[in-house]
Amino acid sequence: MVPSIGTASVAAVSAVTLTAEERKLIETFAEAMLPTEGTALKPRSEVPIADNVARAFSLMDEPILEQVRIGLKLFDVGAIVIGFHFTRFVNLSVEKRLEYIDRWEDGIAMQRGIVDLLKKLTYLGYWQDIEAGRAIGYRGPVSVEGGVPNLGNAPMPNDESDQ
Amino acid sequence: MSEPLPVLRVTQPNEIPDAGLALRADVVVVGSGASGAVTAYELSRAGAKVVVLEAGPYIKSTEFKEHTPTAFETLYQDHGNQSNTTGDLIVLQGKCIGGSTVVNAAVCFRPPDQVLEQWRTEHGLENLSSETLAPYFDRIEKNLSIHENEPYEVGYNGRLLLEGAKKIGIPASPTSRNVKDCALSGHCIAACRTDRKQSMLVTYLPWASELGATILSGTRAESFEVDGRRISAVNAVATEPHGRDKPVRVEADLVVVAAGPIQTPLLFQKNKIGNSSGQVGLNFACHPSLAVYGEHDHSVYGWVGASIGSHAGDIENPLRGGYLVESAMADPVSNSSSVDGGVGRDFVDFMENSKNFQSAVTLIHDHNVGRVFLDGDQKQIEYDVDDRDFESLREALRGTARMYFAVGAKRVYLPTTRRTTIESAGEIDSVINSLTNGKHKYRLTSYHPQGTMRMGADPTRSVVGPDGRCHDFDNVYVPDASLFPSSIMVNPQVTVYGLASYIADQIKARG
Repeated sequence: MVPSIGTASVAAVSAVTLTAEERKLIETFAEAMLPTEGTALKPRSEVPIADNVARAFSLMDEPILEQVRIGLKLFDVGAIVIGFHFTRFVNLSVEKRLEYIDRWEDGIAMQRGIVDLLKKLTYLGYWQDIEAGRAIGYRGPVSVEGGVPNLGNAPMPNDESDQ
Repeated sequence: MSEPLPVLRVTQPNEIPDAGLALRADVVVVGSGASGAVTAYELSRAGAKVVVLEAGPYIKSTEFKEHTPTAFETLYQDHGNQSNTTGDLIVLQGKCIGGSTVVNAAVCFRPPDQVLEQWRTEHGLENLSSETLAPYFDRIEKNLSIHENEPYEVGYNGRLLLEGAKKIGIPASPTSRNVKDCALSGHCIAACRTDRKQSMLVTYLPWASELGATILSGTRAESFEVDGRRISAVNAVATEPHGRDKPVRVEADLVVVAAGPIQTPLLFQKNKIGNSSGQVGLNFACHPSLAVYGEHDHSVYGWVGASIGSHAGDIENPLRGGYLVESAMADPVSNSSSVDGGVGRDFVDFMENSKNFQSAVTLIHDHNVGRVFLDGDQKQIEYDVDDRDFESLREALRGTARMYFAVGAKRVYLPTTRRTTIESAGEIDSVINSLTNGKHKYRLTSYHPQGTMRMGADPTRSVVGPDGRCHDFDNVYVPDASLFPSSIMVNPQVTVYGLASYIADQIKARG
């Protein structure tokens, strides 16, 4: 999860809950896009991707979130007719899901936009996990661990000569 | 004994009485970013009583997490979700005390002479020559510890760019940054936790505060009290974290709107003021930026070293197809979505190989084809890449790919929404030439919105005059990047600091 900032000055956001269908879509999309099994990556199952996506939803303005939800629904049910799968995306095999994603990547602007949004949400949900980054060599936060001191505010400039 | 360091005092919404605040000042400044902070300090230094209203929160650097998603959530406009109407261009801006200066990559360029010359010839800005502005830039560079990266600050990623540029004859050099004793954490865009980046949060704002300026966070300017050609007061709302609103009214002799190139025009439009030219919100440009990754057989660790170590490109010729390439790599969240690594196993392989990528972002001088407006209560940023600018983008991609292959990259990943790679130097032209402009085809990011309150000598074609004063008012100034008559291609913070300093002098001279 995203670490809490815990400051009184940060505007609070209302928690948004994914519907069961949205959660299933994110999970099946991530299963196809992030096959971590047998790799150096942190196991996908150990990162709460759907919860993190819900957190991302809670940070969106209501009109934007509404559009996003419509887009995700279109992507899911679109599999019934696009590619003649006759079932929703969430019910496809991983192989068929990848074919379907490929088709949308090559589709009209709206399709490209929706599938790209799904990718970004899923990646955000997974890669925001600090240990997921460290598994590929990324350092993550370093200053506290490294004991790097704060310099504080800069001294007042010597502006007299410019007056 | 050394002098005590200046202290930044910020009034937060929970410190404001429920009944609100009524303040009287000589100057009220809306916005605490690059231009607002400089204006606040310069006018405080001249003895004015200044009040600064910042819509974003006050977050101390010790609370920064060195974690980009957290930074997006807490320090960026719309939690990092601000985008164009089409939805394929992320427009990043800071929304916090210090504004975008807190979350930028600390890159410093003076504006190219060619751009200033264009402003002179096409917009009547005879006063903004590089000679006139030089003393302002000199002082900014001194005050913000701006210096060219030392060799130890340029990581291997930056050195690869320098080497590649040299091999194919593209001008390149280490980049200048406003950083003091950089700890090389690589977390500039997540904000500098240790105060090395000389953002407004640790420089001009505490300096203004020390000189008596009042700074309010979480306080959003909403309306103006207009009396003929003057604004006599600004009405704002201070919002507590759980939504409780408190009214704030600031009566002032002078109003400076420094809310940035998106919020400044929206504030004018919402209040239906200052638009006799019909130009408020028009002429939006944003330096649409693309990332390019080059895969090597060995480790690069692109996130080690200064966030931006070096740059390459013909930066003196922005108007003639020049482009700028800056070595840059951030965190895994950014890497996963800057270029497309493919789907399924291809994507996993791509991410597993992250440490072997060199990476950079491109900048171009784009045309002012966009506009910012309100659709009901909803902000709209209407901007799609113009076909002329798409040619510049392609040239920037071509040049970057050439530099990568020149230093041994075995594959180049392009910033398309569907995986596109170049497998050898011989393929560069065919792949780049096959790219076409269109919606949702590229992973575009703007770090530099600008140009919605155009400055110019002609009141029928511009919103703001050559001295920064709105044509329609006697006591209203705009010093932020919205006044750029055309895009400048380079990172804009130094230009904004310099223009704000210059405009502050015009205000002082007017008395």
